[in-house]
Amino acid sequence: MKLTTQGLKTALLNTADQIEKQKDKLTDLDREIGDGDHGINMSRGFTAVKKELEDKDSFADLGELSKLVGMTLIKTVGGASGPLFGTVFVKFATKWNGKSSVEGDELYEGFKEAADGVAARGKSKAGQKTMLDVWEPFTNALKSDEPLETVIEKALADTKELKAEKGRASYFGDASKGLQDPGALSSSILLRQITEVLNG
Amino acid sequence: MVNLILVSHSEKLADGLKELLAEMAANVEIHNAGGLDGGKIGTDVSRIEKAFSSITDDAIILTDIGSATMNAEMALELYTGDRDIQFKDVPLVEGAFLAAVQSGQGLSVEQIVKALEAEFAK
Repeated sequence: MKLTTQGLKTALLNTADQIEKQKDKLTDLDREIGDGDHGINMSRGFTAVKKELEDKDSFADLGELSKLVGMTLIKTVGGASGPLFGTVFVKFATKWNGKSSVEGDELYEGFKEAADGVAARGKSKAGQKTMLDVWEPFTNALKSDEPLETVIEKALADTKELKAEKGRASYFGDASKGLQDPGALSSSILLRQITEVLNG
Repeated sequence: MVNLILVSHSEKLADGLKELLAEMAANVEIHNAGGLDGGKIGTDVSRIEKAFSSITDDAIILTDIGSATMNAEMALELYTGDRDIQFKDVPLVEGAFLAAVQSGQGLSVEQIVKALEAEFAK
């Protein structure tokens, strides 16, 4: 399993298309336990990312690509997802600077840095019904033989049953149980696209 | 005099708070970095950065919830200017009152941060 600069770029372009397709679903979920703008925000962010990627032909390495994506998301997504998804890519950039391909430990370390960065930014931990409940199992799975698609599906299903303890959803308390966290869903969309390029 | 930067999801809420603070500390400069374009609800890192570029002294940032806090932290990490800008995650209205009054009395950023920590220690 290898992530190349071109691979990540492809995954991001596919993510932008998928987010666009599931925009209404993301927003509807957010309307149930949040402020009802997640789909709109993510779509705005990934449309901007897509434009940046199409405008710039080639990237020197994973670091340069990740940094541009991170800063674009921070500036365009809005809501809490801007700083959170932005942090993912800014953290990738710190680990993958100067590298045009990563695998094994290097691949894992980028994801670990990203998941830790999200936890720090949101002052959260896994188990609180957030995007971390997808990012953490995915990152751990990079160290195992489990198929990543299965890990993502399971994490997403498990997140549903949790009680929200962070963000606006936390104000809903027990009523949040059984509902899908929108950030976990959008994370799964991105991670599925990354998995596809990792599987080659 | 230490400036205040208010980051609320609602620009109107921050404007209202500004009016309240003016009664207590008329001379303190207060920057509204809340809301989104077109009066929409939300927070935006570039509005906070814009406030950073208009402060006339060191500054304290106060926020309401969630993304306001994250965007404030993010903006601070990206800040490369010379001012001492500090963020304390305390209740927006009460925190801003304390900070404004203390700034009006000529206290430094460091002193105001200490006062906020003492007042809102959990």
